[in-house]
Amino acid sequence: MGASTLLLTGNIDTIAQMSCNPAIGGQAKGQMVREIDALGGEMGINTDLTGIQFRLLNESKGPAVQSPRAQCDKKAYQFRLKHTLELQSNLQVFQATVTELVFTGQKVTGVRTNLDIEFSGVTVVVTTGTFLRGLMHIGQNKNEGGRLGDFSSKTLSASLIKAGVKLHRLKTGTPPRLLGRSLNFSKMEEQRGDASPTLFAFHDTRDPAGLFHVEQNGEQYIGWQPGSHQVSCWMTHTTPETAQLVRDNLHKSAMYSGEIEGVGPRYCPSIEDKFVRFADKPRHLLFLEPEGRSTNEYYVNGLSTSLPFDIQLEMVHSIPGLENAQLLRPAYAVEYDFAPPTQLYPSLESRKVENLFFAGQINGTSGYEEAASQGLIAGVNAVHKVRREEPLIIGRHEAYIGVLIDDLVTKGTNEPYRMFTSRAEYRLLFNHGSAELRLLHHAKAHSLVSSTRLARIEEKKRQTDYWITFFETHKAPAGQGTLGDVIRSSTMGGGAMPEFPVEFSSQSEALRQEVMYRVGYQGYLAREQRQIKKLSQIEKIKIPPSIDFMQVRGLRKECAIKLSATKPYTLGQASRISGVNPSDISILMVLIEASRGGAKR
Amino acid sequence: MFRSTDTIVALATPMGASAIAVVRASGPDCTALAAAIFGPTPLPPRLACHTDYRDLKGLILDDVLVTFFKGPHSYTGEDLLEISSHGNPFISQLILNDILARGFRAAEPGEFTRRAFLSGRMDLSQAEAVMDLIYARSERALAAANQQLRGSLGRHLGKLTENLLRVLAHVEAYIDFPDEDLPPEDRHFAQEELASVLRGTERLLATHHYGELLREGIKTVIIGEPNVGKSSLLNRLVGYDRALVSTEPGTTRDFIEERLILGPHCLRLIDTAGLNSSPAVIEKLGIEKTVERAAEADLILWVLDATLPCPTLPTSIMPRLNSANTLVLLNKHDLLADHPPTAKPPEGLPALPLSALTGEGFETLATTIIQHAEAFRLDRGEDVIAINSRHADALRRAREGLITAQTKLINQGPVELLSSDLRSALDAFGEIAGKIDNERMLDHLFAAFCIGK
Ligand SMILES: Cc1cc2nc3c(=O)[nH]c(=O)nc-3n(C[C@H](O)[C@H](O)[C@H](O)COP(=O)(O)OP(=O)(O)OC[C@H]3O[C@@H](n4cnc5c(N)ncnc54)[C@H](O)[C@@H]3O)c2cc1C
Ligand SMILES: Nc1nc2c(ncn2[C@@H]2O[C@H](COP(=O)(O)OP(=O)(O)OP(=O)(O)O)[C@@H](O)[C@H]2O)c(=O)[nH]1
Ligand SMILES: [Mg+2]
Repeated sequence: MGASTLLLTGNIDTIAQMSCNPAIGGQAKGQMVREIDALGGEMGINTDLTGIQFRLLNESKGPAVQSPRAQCDKKAYQFRLKHTLELQSNLQVFQATVTELVFTGQKVTGVRTNLDIEFSGVTVVVTTGTFLRGLMHIGQNKNEGGRLGDFSSKTLSASLIKAGVKLHRLKTGTPPRLLGRSLNFSKMEEQRGDASPTLFAFHDTRDPAGLFHVEQNGEQYIGWQPGSHQVSCWMTHTTPETAQLVRDNLHKSAMYSGEIEGVGPRYCPSIEDKFVRFADKPRHLLFLEPEGRSTNEYYVNGLSTSLPFDIQLEMVHSIPGLENAQLLRPAYAVEYDFAPPTQLYPSLESRKVENLFFAGQINGTSGYEEAASQGLIAGVNAVHKVRREEPLIIGRHEAYIGVLIDDLVTKGTNEPYRMFTSRAEYRLLFNHGSAELRLLHHAKAHSLVSSTRLARIEEKKRQTDYWITFFETHKAPAGQGTLGDVIRSSTMGGGAMPEFPVEFSSQSEALRQEVMYRVGYQGYLAREQRQIKKLSQIEKIKIPPSIDFMQVRGLRKECAIKLSATKPYTLGQASRISGVNPSDISILMVLIEASRGGAKR
Repeated sequence: MFRSTDTIVALATPMGASAIAVVRASGPDCTALAAAIFGPTPLPPRLACHTDYRDLKGLILDDVLVTFFKGPHSYTGEDLLEISSHGNPFISQLILNDILARGFRAAEPGEFTRRAFLSGRMDLSQAEAVMDLIYARSERALAAANQQLRGSLGRHLGKLTENLLRVLAHVEAYIDFPDEDLPPEDRHFAQEELASVLRGTERLLATHHYGELLREGIKTVIIGEPNVGKSSLLNRLVGYDRALVSTEPGTTRDFIEERLILGPHCLRLIDTAGLNSSPAVIEKLGIEKTVERAAEADLILWVLDATLPCPTLPTSIMPRLNSANTLVLLNKHDLLADHPPTAKPPEGLPALPLSALTGEGFETLATTIIQHAEAFRLDRGEDVIAINSRHADALRRAREGLITAQTKLINQGPVELLSSDLRSALDAFGEIAGKIDNERMLDHLFAAFCIGK
């Protein structure tokens, strides 16, 4: 977009450092990474070029719920992205800790740093992750910091509160890291990557110029292919001894002794939670995941805990294959401030402070993909705000990114929010392969991808549409119906595919898959499209920000209060607020139309 | 300018308040709808055509008057179709149901009004009047709906929803957490649970077919002393000798029940044993039962012999009587021969003179009963009735989703499509009792499975 941008970070070397498991993608998240790529984001390409294991999840299920996942080389991921930023024109990266925001009236106008250097800017995006008053717990032990080895950002919270932004506490945790050569892999089960990896970036439309990567040990710069030379993960499990240890020492856990006030995620429970809440489950699976090619550090997926270090050590040793494990870093829980996202517009701009945007974990989410999606949207909209342009708002019906932001600003969250495919009403339309086609109009309208790439995406869309129409309109040679009908009965009930014209067979595999999906699942996709169409009208109607809901005649009081609290941006968003019913929407619709008509006169 | 994308349908006249009932559809697909029902010849705008209404199965439901209005020259400003059938509520319900079955949508409360307004672009003061109207309509609709939801419909629906959420959570867990250490997928559990949800949905659909009042009728109990002419009244009302009549008091010993269509209303007419002030043992039993019936009645017809002084009623009945639920009938008016009646009914209860023998006063009786019956219907006006058919419409769609889901479960069909079917059923439940937040599914999911590595 070409805006002059400053990126401030407490430590340049930790740009894109993954606090937790260096894994990108997975259910719903994999789709999001592809959406980010479709909107010109870096996450997909960075993963492809630093990934060390690739797997397509749900391969046996339908395309809509298949998700790519990759294990990355943690340091390579981080450094490649740092280098990407260095090469980015109009971007200035600078290392300093922001101590407070500078306000002029109800607007933010800049930041002050620990180096006593002040920066001014028209818009400011806050992406402090887990760093705001970050407090780490290992049993009774407490350390300040957003992440082990990192600082805690203490004064910034006060500055936000002063500006009227409400803050609450959340909690998350991470498992211990182990030294690989102290592990006995022969007692574990191997989990390999896919022979033919599913990548995240749309390499068919991207410019090859972006394909550099940071040299890694044992890798050649030239001729290196994404997805080659993959590494394995290893599976083991807890034992009755582990369970006993946890139960005997529960009172020492920071979580269970009441040390932690923040709420943790249900989908990412600590091992304490697992043994307490699912007491009848005899054992829990654990995955040993390498953190990179040039390190011997392993991540123990599934063993997140806030028990004291000595218990952690005993616990690790009670696990098959880990009897002699050396701990490199202990597990810990971290508590941090977040700003409930219902205080935001769908553009991710604060409703309290003009020109101030929020993105990432500070908005109550958890996960790299969720953070990256918001970062992208907030960044784009911060530029639009400067230029007084309409913000980029992605609908719930268009992408997981749309679902994410709509959920956050409409419903808020009381646990770290993570995307699931089940959160999307139109999941079947969100197959990962279609991200570029789905988001083409946004990429185009907001100049998010290069013009050469845009042309390639448009061509891909044309081809896709052409072949769909082709199959739906050409009769099958043998029997009744169109080629599309044959494809559908083959997709749903087995049976042979029709013979394809060579012109189709010579198309790229991605394109053929997309066409086959759209034709094969036509009935179900059409159902979702019909629902979207039904709601499209109210999604488009913007609610003037000046409306005082409490004064609207005929609105029930309960509803008016809810609307005033959420301040929905469109009637569609209003309709998703619990307690707002269709007749309330009717009333608002009439009011909005009347005030528009009045303005015309 | 708002442009509606779909076509809505509802009853436009209060259920049977007139001799005809009007079903009204508005939206872009009205022409297609007319063609589907009445044949391909286009209907001339603004001209009533007399024709047969054939439902989806090809059966003639009624001969109707149909008028097509081409937008913007219509009430809503959109293409609009008005189908007038005979006032019998069953017919208009059947027509409405048929149109819903053709995939059209039942109007939301206030939606016709809203569309009418939006196509007309009025100024703010007019808009406010419309908003008040929408509010009033929807409040009434809401009141009716809430009443049902507080009752057994709400309870059953709540249970079905929870069970369905549980099935969905089981399906979703395997979609969203394929990498987790979940127990092997238990499709058997899902099948059983789903079957029970389906049974429940069908039961609800059956009990709510045309609305309780329509099916059951307004419970109308005839009480009075022996020999005052209660059975004669029943016979006269239903039009044939249903109950035994004799000069002997105590002829009727048990109830006699008969259905009566009066105008738009359906009455359950119950004749009872006479309330004898000094009863014999055998009579006592009958009287107790009469008291019970009277306690459950929607409407009480208290018959007096106009030539005799007014008797006192048992204390278990008397306090229940009021002007809204009781009509006093001064029977045997023919015997008075222009003398004023001897019987003086208690103050405050409406009384009508009549003769079950000659039929005198029965027209007034009929209109008075209809007036009383009107008061029992909460569901007056277009929107309220739409809610009732909306419930049925939603339940039918839920059933459809459940049945397809069931087939997929049995045939091991694609799990994300199975989920899509289950969700369509869940959404349909949500249309009745309020939107169902996905969080509730996740609550079930995280409670049932240990998720998270
Ligand atoms: C211990 C832990 C466990 C986690 N576990 C999981 C998990 O199990 N599953 C999961 O999906 N996700 C997990 N996450 C979440 C995931 O790491 C984050 O959601 C994601 O990284 C958030 O990205 P972000 O950009 O918002 O913030 P971060 O990645 O945290 O980055 C914040 C950046 O802001 C900088 N910064 C902060 N304050 C200032 C300041 N005042 N001035 C200048 N710079 C500042 C920091 O230097 C840092 O670079 C975990 C995170 C942590 C810390
Ligand atoms: N003249 C006249 N006689 C009537 C009228 N209505 C009823 N009778 C007569 O009164 C007698 C009793 O009538 P029923 O209808 O059996 O009275 P009932 O109230 O049902 O009596 P029980 O069942 O015994 O309690 C019969 O002989 C009827 O013919 C009326 O309006 N005028
Ligand atoms: Mg009798």
